Amino acid sequence: MNSLTTKKLKKSLVSTEFFVLVLIVLLAVFIEMQSGLFFTNNNLVDLLRSMIVPSIFALCAYLGFISTGPDVSFPLIAALSSYIATQFVVITGFQGSIAIVFLVAIAVGLVLGSINGFIIAKYNFPSLIVTLGTSTIFSGILLGAFEASRMELPATMADFGRQSLLAVTNAKAGIGSSLPMTFLIFVGLYIIVYFVLNHTMAGRGVFAVGGDETSAERAGFNVKLIRFGVFTVSGAIAAIAGVCYTVESLYYLPTEFAGEEMIVIAAVILGGTRLMGGVGTLKGTILGTLLITIVTNSLILVGIPVYWQKFFIGAIIIIGTAISVIQSHNLFKSKKSKDSKGLQNSEVVINETAQKQ
Amino acid sequence: MSENILSVKGVHKSFGGVHALKGVDLTIKKGEVHCLAGENGCGKSTIIKVISGVHKPDSGEVELNGKKYTSITPSEAIEAGVQIIYQDFSVFPNLTVMENLAINKALASKKKFINKKEFRRIAEEAVNKINFKVDLDALVEDLPVADKQLIAISRALLADAKLIIMDEPTTTLTKTEVKRLFEIIEDLKEQGVTILFVSHKLDEVYEICDSITIFRNGENVLSCQVSEMDDEKFAYYMTGRKFDSQNIKQNAKAGDSILEVKNLSAPGFDNVNFNLRKGEVLGISGQLGSGRTELSLALFGLLKPYEGSIVVDGKEVNITSPAKAQELGIALVPEDRLTEGLFLSQSIKRNINVTKLDELSSKLGVMNITALTDESKGWVKNIGVKTKDHEYPVQTLSGGNQQKVVLARWLATNPNVLILNAPTVGVDIGAKHDIHTLLRNLANEGRGIIVVSDDVKELVDVCDRVMVMQQGKIINEIASGDLNADMLSQYI
Amino acid sequence: MKLLKNNSLSLNQLDGNTARLLTMFVAIFLVASLTKPDMFLSSGNFQSMSKQLVEYGLLSLGVGIAMISGGIDLSVVYIANLSAIVTGMVMKALVLTAVGPELLLFILIAVLAGVLTGFLCGAFNGFLISKLHIPAMLATLGTMQLYMGIAIIISGGSTVSGIPRVFSQLISNSYLFGIPLSFFIYLFVVGFIIFIMSKTKFGMRVFLIGTNARAAAFSGIKINNVLIKTYILSGLLASLAGILSLARLSSAKADFGSSYIMQTILIVVLGGINPNGGYGTIRGIFLATITVQVISSFLNMFPEISNYYRDLIWGVAVIGVLIVNFSANKKTTAKLAKATAN
Ligand SMILES: Nc1ncnc2c1ncn2[C@@H]1O[C@H](COP(=O)(O)OP(=O)(O)O)[C@@H](O)[C@H]1O
Ligand SMILES: [Mg+2]
Repeated sequence: MNSLTTKKLKKSLVSTEFFVLVLIVLLAVFIEMQSGLFFTNNNLVDLLRSMIVPSIFALCAYLGFISTGPDVSFPLIAALSSYIATQFVVITGFQGSIAIVFLVAIAVGLVLGSINGFIIAKYNFPSLIVTLGTSTIFSGILLGAFEASRMELPATMADFGRQSLLAVTNAKAGIGSSLPMTFLIFVGLYIIVYFVLNHTMAGRGVFAVGGDETSAERAGFNVKLIRFGVFTVSGAIAAIAGVCYTVESLYYLPTEFAGEEMIVIAAVILGGTRLMGGVGTLKGTILGTLLITIVTNSLILVGIPVYWQKFFIGAIIIIGTAISVIQSHNLFKSKKSKDSKGLQNSEVVINETAQKQ
Repeated sequence: MSENILSVKGVHKSFGGVHALKGVDLTIKKGEVHCLAGENGCGKSTIIKVISGVHKPDSGEVELNGKKYTSITPSEAIEAGVQIIYQDFSVFPNLTVMENLAINKALASKKKFINKKEFRRIAEEAVNKINFKVDLDALVEDLPVADKQLIAISRALLADAKLIIMDEPTTTLTKTEVKRLFEIIEDLKEQGVTILFVSHKLDEVYEICDSITIFRNGENVLSCQVSEMDDEKFAYYMTGRKFDSQNIKQNAKAGDSILEVKNLSAPGFDNVNFNLRKGEVLGISGQLGSGRTELSLALFGLLKPYEGSIVVDGKEVNITSPAKAQELGIALVPEDRLTEGLFLSQSIKRNINVTKLDELSSKLGVMNITALTDESKGWVKNIGVKTKDHEYPVQTLSGGNQQKVVLARWLATNPNVLILNAPTVGVDIGAKHDIHTLLRNLANEGRGIIVVSDDVKELVDVCDRVMVMQQGKIINEIASGDLNADMLSQYI
Repeated sequence: MKLLKNNSLSLNQLDGNTARLLTMFVAIFLVASLTKPDMFLSSGNFQSMSKQLVEYGLLSLGVGIAMISGGIDLSVVYIANLSAIVTGMVMKALVLTAVGPELLLFILIAVLAGVLTGFLCGAFNGFLISKLHIPAMLATLGTMQLYMGIAIIISGGSTVSGIPRVFSQLISNSYLFGIPLSFFIYLFVVGFIIFIMSKTKFGMRVFLIGTNARAAAFSGIKINNVLIKTYILSGLLASLAGILSLARLSSAKADFGSSYIMQTILIVVLGGINPNGGYGTIRGIFLATITVQVISSFLNMFPEISNYYRDLIWGVAVIGVLIVNFSANKKTTAKLAKATAN
């Protein structure tokens, strides 16, 4: 028993989540020492606030990775579905519950996500290329067909955006920050996704498919259905993120979404999600997002010009993936190999998987 | 109701140019332990995958419990009560042992939610059944091969199966584990479960099977009761020739040492020593996971040794990459033709030329196309690759011809040491004989040959001596005089 | 007995796609010529078409080679921008006071600095992918941010302009038989890459690695070496594109042409490169490039069609082409199996 717990302890000590946590703490202390502004109530609330939308997006990226591979279409699904939801309120003059607005967006997100899911599941094309393609299509629809542009939000939505869950003021600086209601949505989504992934057969199926597609098929999982389902649900989650973002910013701006995918993917990979599928935790995903949010939010606090941001994000993606790849080489001697004949236990030094997406 | 639980009729299945099944029949009676035997690559695993719905047959039908299917899906097969221990285990590397054990059962019972406690109970029940000691919370990818096989076995035993198909379930097991498995098979049989036991090991067949079907080269050549079998008959039907008809060893005289391995250790094997002489064919054998494959990889620069030394032609060398190995005159024909040997969709010509690119290109790297074409044409003719044109994709060839292409690629480098891992798996008898004869001829030319194989007959036929590996160590060496099939089978 | 039929089969996979592309090109060309004869068939249009396609044509070559090797290079656009910025800045720094032949020398030095940038960026990509085993898609996704970041940092986030006029005059405004010099450069590069990929051992190895990297390692191919070269080549092509764009626009910026990423992938897929590696021809990429340019110019002749619709069309085209090639390949394989069955 004793050896078992120490083993577990050892394992959690080398886990990526732990590394990220240590990094976050170090970074926080560093920023605090440099600026004295990190552990102020308004900065912490600001951080939480900035984390909401990226964290929800991170779910989409995370689901893509553990089941299939990279998904880059969620920002445009968010943009398009929140646009339609907003337009729905504007045109119909809808005055009712905000929940209906979310439902409209979710319906659109489901449809858009199912397009991704259908193509990826049916043809087995690389998910990156498919989602790049669909996000260009969605962008064409949004900006070309709908001619979307900046919109003030109708009252129903703006009111929801202004409601705050928690408001603080920094006594010294006199700066206030508030946490919007969307924070609850973010927490709720993580709880639901956690439950589904860990406590339902469908959820375990997602991991099974990501871990070994052939075995999953032989065990009787419907691989195509699972992939289709994952991308469809991911569409709905992206739509929720889109509405959250829109109500938080109090207006709708169609061009604000694109580009977000890079930062989010960086966060998810940093959090220890394995690139080749099947491995990754929600805990890691949140920690990764937190780390990236701290980096992007706090560069200013320590006096680094904003235009270094891209550089840092690029560097973080590269270092993060490198660490995750190197770790998976060392910790688990075998690589995910399609041929399980005898080679599983050997460290054949070839990058058969590294090139593939 | 019929008394047959399974009846397969006229099933054909091709992969490109490989005709894995050429209209096979297979009938299994309820409650029996039926053996499916045949040499490696004769189509045993393929027919199983057809029965389980993993492969869709090109033609033919499968009848399970009196119900006919032209194409069955994996979940239909499971619902019909078929459980399979796949040869490649089919486990989930990223999940825990517990989940691997319990997930299939949960899936079969159409559960929607997961109860961790119940999962643990199911998993414990599974491992206890075969006295398998393992940490249920470990990730499967961290386990050794043998444990993966045990997981595959215990998982299949869990379900309330009517028919359990075991595809070479003993490849990594120790003697005691095999014995335990056989006890379980007896138990299952008493409970009325039907077993299809796939093996090419004669003693196993005698010990537990009631009846037997033998495949050869994608066709079924014999179905009878095990009681009607004897060694000679078995060997004859498996190989298509009389037991000792082949004598290709011409008492070659071994010359100087050409490859010497001293205290070599690498992931997968430990402290290996041997000396290969010019003109000698050395066999290396052992179970799956015994380190035989890793040893061949280390000699070819694909696995980095921790310690020990390799001496080639009297000089100590450091083989850091296959390119380096090639430079030193070492060649490896890998174990898995499909994933390691061939560029399936590329032409035969490119597949052969790959090792000659440096030699047949200008200093600036421009290929000498004529020379390369001649080279490839020459080999196709020399080694007897049956094809209409060497520009055809190599996937259009049959298994034996594909193997000849891989061989040609390496013979083209004129190696001094030729290592072959499982050289005749999935190769028809004609080509097999060709390859064996070729190996002896190459040895007679003064090269050193290493044959890594678990095909006892092959080892006896072509090797001058055989080293047997177990758990990464060489446990025995059988010299020429003592080399016979019975003797060898004891160890493998 | 089926000898003749069989011989054509082995080449079918390549020819099928080229034939489809050619048909498509001719059809669109005809439609454009018939519906907008005066605009489309004008020499001005041909000049601007041949100028426009050069940059993304070069980028597509790089992405295509990376894809043949089984990977992808998403960073090309930003390598191009970074190279253009480096070239521009070096040029500005050196050239301010110079005149006459000295000027030309300085321009040459600046161009070499740009090319060197492309080389280094490509080598870094190759290092990450081969030595560190980071999947190409993620490695180049990261370096794409990194190179953009570096470009922003060195340019201070603003547009680099004020390039000596000679430079743009020389490259962008010289014509030969009415065709811009940059197009000749492009044609030359296409020819060179066709040669590399079909006649050299390096090219053959790229194809083999893309088909089966594991088998390539077992065949003694030095995978890391080949992959690093592959991404260096892609980086060099990108820097060339960047330098040409610097000449055309007389300016450079860190985030120019972000939409080119999608377009290059479209062209490469349209050109018949298998996204899983190992298959495709440079000729196909070339055909796809000019086809896309013709479509693009044709669409431009309808001012009522918003630019954004073009995105929509590209997106649909990528997926459509993937599906068509997928089904066509499936058929070919089935035919091949059948033909060799007896
Ligand atoms: N997925 C596949 N693609 C191509 N060839 C295959 C595939 N699976 C099996 N084969 C070939 O089919 C033949 C029969 O293989 P298999 O059924 O695995 O033999 P065994 O009797 O050893 O189980 C072999 O020549 C093998 O190489
Ligand atoms: Mg088998």
